[in-house]
Amino acid sequence: MKKKLQNLYEQIPVPKEELSAMIDDTIAFQQKRQRHRPVRVISTGVAIFAAACVSFVVMLNISPAFAKTMYEIPVLGDICRVFTFREYYVEDDTKIVNVRIPNIENTGNTELEKRINQEIRSKMNESVKESEQRAQENYDAYIATGGDPKEYLPMDIHMDYEIKSSNERTLSFVIDKYEAHASVYRERYFYNLDLQTGKTLTLQDMFGPDYQDLVYNQVKEQVEQLDSETKQYIFPQYLTKDLINQNRPFYLDKNGNVVVVFEKYEIAAGAAGALKFVIKKESL
Amino acid sequence: MAAREKDGENILQKNQDQEARLVGYIKENQDKFYRLAYSYVKNQEDALDVIQDAIIRAMEKIHTLKNPEYLKTWFYRILVNECLNHIRKAKSILYTDQIPVLEGETNTFGEREAAIDLYHAIDKLEPNLKTIVMLRFYEDMKLEEISKVTSCHLSTVKARLYKALSILRVDIEGDPVYGTQNSLIRRKGEKEHEKEATKSI
Repeated sequence: MKKKLQNLYEQIPVPKEELSAMIDDTIAFQQKRQRHRPVRVISTGVAIFAAACVSFVVMLNISPAFAKTMYEIPVLGDICRVFTFREYYVEDDTKIVNVRIPNIENTGNTELEKRINQEIRSKMNESVKESEQRAQENYDAYIATGGDPKEYLPMDIHMDYEIKSSNERTLSFVIDKYEAHASVYRERYFYNLDLQTGKTLTLQDMFGPDYQDLVYNQVKEQVEQLDSETKQYIFPQYLTKDLINQNRPFYLDKNGNVVVVFEKYEIAAGAAGALKFVIKKESL
Repeated sequence: MAAREKDGENILQKNQDQEARLVGYIKENQDKFYRLAYSYVKNQEDALDVIQDAIIRAMEKIHTLKNPEYLKTWFYRILVNECLNHIRKAKSILYTDQIPVLEGETNTFGEREAAIDLYHAIDKLEPNLKTIVMLRFYEDMKLEEISKVTSCHLSTVKARLYKALSILRVDIEGDPVYGTQNSLIRRKGEKEHEKEATKSI
């Protein structure tokens, strides 16, 4: 009887092709996603264990040597500048933290490296700490109001960077941070470095003292030319000249063009997302 | 610090080894997983979905598995949980199962019908009991393994298995306990018999 039953069970038709394809895809996808998580430390909510994982993370953060031996990834191949990064992943009941912090090297300007790396590190750590604190507060509030810890969805705190352009003279990259819970908060930090002078580039450095007029006029012009769907989201009254100042985020694209960025909600409804405009030097 | 660095590398290496083992194990047994999932969710699409969810979960958590020996029961636990979650969520939707047709010879008259009846009876068991019966008889798992998969005490597994069998009124290892071979209808007042039957498993 058992044999017969098993026989019946084994006759459930298996869609071999679909199954194999799905499994291969899923595994490949997961592996890709997890490649950036070399150190995975899990806290099961036990306080001692949580403490251990904090110290591990701190160590990764304060010891470049340690991080470097584990993941040294030359992003820029032939150019002498290499980005290494620190990376860590922490997960517990309240949060999932996934952070990649860039570190610049071999620029030939150690002064600049030191200053920027330090700034990035302290800014990012500060920012992640704030998010973690919010995650803890949310969790505590959830438990205090009688929520089931098993049902709690941890906050996703994610930080990564992207190199916009790099050449002998300049280096432009953006650090992207988001905090996803009930809603998503996103912050971006743009860095544009002059590798020869060691300065952080501003719009004024790029376009001279009249940068405000030049950039403002070009942005306005481009807003006019936007497709009608995006254009309907723009709030023209918010797009003022004051927005074009030395703190306006921008980056340098691969062709060396300045691309100014307006974050979501800044000059348009959220549906338009973040907006970017390429500013040309010539049309002065 | 040197020792710490070593630890870090070891963790990294260990994680990769474990992941490779998991991937190998999944690929080798994918048909089994499909049948099990299908038995719960009753359609191809959902079966593929729950397997996918189980794989994602497993790959995310593989580093928490301390003892590689438990890979099988550990993965089955994830898969069974995903299946149970799915049917809990999709409770309002009912799918009709296609009756598998038994091919080949049937040696005894009525045995085939009895098997089909029993197969469907197992299918209709409440999920907790069904899980245990399926793991025991379709997946040939030991009771200890089942207890790991279901995160239940061994005694709970036994109790559930007995309960399931008493509902099915049959000793699966042997012949139907009650009545004639193709009859699964239970006669009243045969409790003693039932106890004996379940002991033989």
